[in-house]
Amino acid sequence: MKKLVSILLVLVLALALTPAMAEGPAYDGSEVTITFYNTMGTNLTPVLEKYIASFQELYPNIKVNYTSVGSYDDVRDQIATEITVNGQPNIAYCYPDHVALYNLFKAVRTLDDFIDSTAEVTRADGTTEIMGLTAEQKADFIEGYYNEGLQFGDGKMYTMPFSKSTEVLYYNKTFFDENGLQVPTTWDEMDEVARKIIEIDPDSTPIGYDSESNWFITMTEQLKSDYTVAEDPYFLFNNETNRDFVKRFREWYQDGLLITYKLNGGYTSGRFVADSKKIYMTIGSSAGASHQTPAAKDGVAPFEVGITTIPQADPSNPRVISQGPSVCIFKKANAQEEAASWLFVKYLTTSVEFQAEFSIASGYVPVIKSVIDNPIYAEHLANAGGYGEHTTALSAKICLEQVDAYYTSPAFNGSSTARDQVGELLAKCFSIPDSEDVDAKILEYFEAAVKECVYSR
Amino acid sequence: MVESKQQWKAWLYLSPAIALLLVFTVWPIVNTVRMALLEDYSIAAASGGDRVFSLGIGNFVKVAQYQNFLTCLKNTALLCVATVPISTLLALLVAVALNSIKPLRKTLQTIFFLPYVTNSIAIGMVFAAMFNIVGSVGTRRPNIVTLGIINNVIEFFGGHYVNWINTGSSYWANMIVLIIYIVWNALPFKILILLGGLQSINKQYYEAAKVDSTPRWRVLWRITVPLLSPMIAYVVITGFIGGFKEYTSIVGIFGESLGPAHAPGRLNTMVGFIYEALEQYHQGRASAAALILFAIILVVTLINLQVSKKRVHY
Amino acid sequence: MSQQTLKVMQSRDLKRTTSKQNIGHTLGTVGIYAFLLFMALVVLFPFYWMVISSLKSLAEYRMSKPTFWPQTLLLSNYRDAFTTANLGRLFLNTAYVGIVSTLLSLFITIITAFAFARLDFKGKDLLFAALLGTMMIPGELFTITNYITVNSFGWTHTFTALIVPFLVSVFYIYLLRQNFLQIPNELYLAAKVDGTSDWKYLWKVMVPLALPTLISITILKMMGAWNSYIWPRLVANDDMHRLVTNGLRNAFKDTSGEVNYPVQMAAVALVSAPLFMVFIFLRKYIMAGVSRSGIKG
Repeated sequence: MKKLVSILLVLVLALALTPAMAEGPAYDGSEVTITFYNTMGTNLTPVLEKYIASFQELYPNIKVNYTSVGSYDDVRDQIATEITVNGQPNIAYCYPDHVALYNLFKAVRTLDDFIDSTAEVTRADGTTEIMGLTAEQKADFIEGYYNEGLQFGDGKMYTMPFSKSTEVLYYNKTFFDENGLQVPTTWDEMDEVARKIIEIDPDSTPIGYDSESNWFITMTEQLKSDYTVAEDPYFLFNNETNRDFVKRFREWYQDGLLITYKLNGGYTSGRFVADSKKIYMTIGSSAGASHQTPAAKDGVAPFEVGITTIPQADPSNPRVISQGPSVCIFKKANAQEEAASWLFVKYLTTSVEFQAEFSIASGYVPVIKSVIDNPIYAEHLANAGGYGEHTTALSAKICLEQVDAYYTSPAFNGSSTARDQVGELLAKCFSIPDSEDVDAKILEYFEAAVKECVYSR
Repeated sequence: MVESKQQWKAWLYLSPAIALLLVFTVWPIVNTVRMALLEDYSIAAASGGDRVFSLGIGNFVKVAQYQNFLTCLKNTALLCVATVPISTLLALLVAVALNSIKPLRKTLQTIFFLPYVTNSIAIGMVFAAMFNIVGSVGTRRPNIVTLGIINNVIEFFGGHYVNWINTGSSYWANMIVLIIYIVWNALPFKILILLGGLQSINKQYYEAAKVDSTPRWRVLWRITVPLLSPMIAYVVITGFIGGFKEYTSIVGIFGESLGPAHAPGRLNTMVGFIYEALEQYHQGRASAAALILFAIILVVTLINLQVSKKRVHY
Repeated sequence: MSQQTLKVMQSRDLKRTTSKQNIGHTLGTVGIYAFLLFMALVVLFPFYWMVISSLKSLAEYRMSKPTFWPQTLLLSNYRDAFTTANLGRLFLNTAYVGIVSTLLSLFITIITAFAFARLDFKGKDLLFAALLGTMMIPGELFTITNYITVNSFGWTHTFTALIVPFLVSVFYIYLLRQNFLQIPNELYLAAKVDGTSDWKYLWKVMVPLALPTLISITILKMMGAWNSYIWPRLVANDDMHRLVTNGLRNAFKDTSGEVNYPVQMAAVALVSAPLFMVFIFLRKYIMAGVSRSGIKG
């Protein structure tokens, strides 16, 4: 009897709370402290601090702490251990694969009820805002970036885009102009121009690629072949189309046209800006333009940097990876902490001023479209060029030009292994010597990689 | 008759050690067995809260069937089988030689001990640099900057350079580098122990041999080795135990990819396997692998003891 | 073989010694020296190569014909190494962990060894045997659970995680207990008559007498902190708490462009230097400790 009463009570309570639950709890002005893990260096933390201060003017009872943890992997490892003792932060920089890991612990707060909430919150200056996103705010997000939050297989929103980058092709413009070379837009053209370059400078390696994993996944997108799916059998990347493109690029490597991060033993940018053993085209993160810019010697830059979109398989269906941090919110016992975290995330991701200033300082691009009209950011982009500090703006510009080409791949338990494995696959397959049965070896490596992925689950 | 006061005092003195041992030694032993026997145990799923783990040997099966498990086992066994005899033999020769000289003995003894006081990761990086080729090899268009000092020496003596550890290098080339490094690293301890053993051998045995003008090598095999056999057994057994736990030397030479760029993980060992499982939040499999390793070490040590029982002259 | 026969044989043989055998003997000795010097060269070469590489410019290092002595001594590599690998911080972290864990460990080892050597209590032998038994089990078995334990104590990314789990070493307890047992009973009984407490006797009499063993333990423990890699990498791999071995490997993991080997070698030399210093000054204790331990650092 007692049991029945308590069950009834719970039911009544649950019914009473249901509308509020669907809306997500509104922040009620209570005093909370939230922590934000990121990887920002000392060049970026002043920007963050400035906007934390202005956020706290609106919400003086929300205290925001932040910790720069190190690399993205460090953030993941630290949080994964902290979750086991319920010590995770409120907000953290994340990549989709990290969230897939946190999801094993069921530790990530989904955001749909916050996004849709129309509850009003009063700020310290007397104005109000709604908890959720307005229709305009939602439409302002670059769609490809926003949809990254939805790639976890259940259609729910797990992350918000924070600042983004993509891969671009850096090339030695001075060298290309001097030798009358065409900048490639397709892989076929790249093949052609690389063979010309190695004739001109036999000591060089014409092409560098910084991320084997990105390359593999991007190729599957460009060729519309299978990579992974978020349900059984998960790992579909062992197919003929994929083996064929790997085989083709192996030829490039064997012919001395190509080097990648793993095979080079370091980022290829070092050789792009070097004086000898040069690389003339390198595909790397658009946020890394400063590393791809040679230092001026006696006030003169050794060469002009050109930046363009990466080559495509089918120019009518351009595909390029979207990377850079998103943020996720962790579940907490205190619903007000979650609500306050959401308000802060919303503030940073929808603030035109923050997005503009942070993008200029970091080399990443903003996640909302209206930043482009921001006068400061527009001026930054207007300064784009091929020398010195202007290359950062140039790469951002190229990055923004291809917002329609972004794709996302599903994130699930095992997706990070798949990512690592396909990267290793490229390095392994490229270095199969001619003396062996190349097709058989490639097939063997692909099969082993799939097995490795299955085992990791 | 033990006073109860002294009883109390003794336990008081022992309490810090016992408390720490219970938490960090006894509990881990119990818990390892527990986790190994819970199907697919993972602390991630466990703290997610909705998983009940059933009892079973699934972790052992998964580990044993895993494609890289055999690789790890093979590497570990190979390194043991190669490095223990080589380093024991070399150490024996060095110790005997050292024992037979007077001038320079102290200096040489110090030099031979030097590798012991080094950091195995740090000096591994030195070995890697010595064998490393800067530039690219193993393609149709090799583009070599410098071959590395070992290859320079090989070419100086008229040989052809070898791709030891770079992209495209062969498994055996990798293994040879590892064996050289591990032997180099293992020598000092073995020399020290064997030299200590030699110095405690009664000089009279040698004097008898001297009188008979027995050749040195005969003295070595007929007198020294048998008399030294307990020490030799000791360094062989500890060598095997250490060999089965090899891991940091490989990180020193190849970095955490545990292999050249085209074959990452190729030189992984049992211990490396355990840590990998741990980092992927597969605590059940890590525990199973640790127990397997324990069983192997136990069996190998028992065999060693059995063999030495027959051969060792006490 | 009795002394008597030996002597007889000896005198008989002395007469037979010919100059031919003497030459053979000299040749043998030359051979022995040649072998030892060659082996010494093999042992020393990596150190030599580390030092001279660390003094070369990158251009010189990359020359296809190697130089065995740097053309120009480039000491700036050491400065670069110090900043690249953030060695100052790593040294401080490691020294802190080394010193604190050594002091605490010594204290626990001393009182535990004392209890086993001097005090009587029920189950003493059984307990001691059980302790020795744990030495048989490979450390990897402990790591997995200790990692979980340390996490659940909230110790990740703290020095505590690096210190506490390894405070008790059964081996050190064993070593010190043996040493304590050698101290004559009479001393203890005399002290009892004088009314000296056990506690005072331990610290005033036994500890000073066992000093050489304690020094060996100290050095081995410090070396352990200096060389540890796996555990620190698992539990405290952040900038504030990273230890030297781990930091060294990390600093040269992600590189933009090619590895600057001279700088890397300079970093390795800097990391190796402190252990070498300790070794040179305290050779005797280290070798004594190691020969009884059978463990590496």
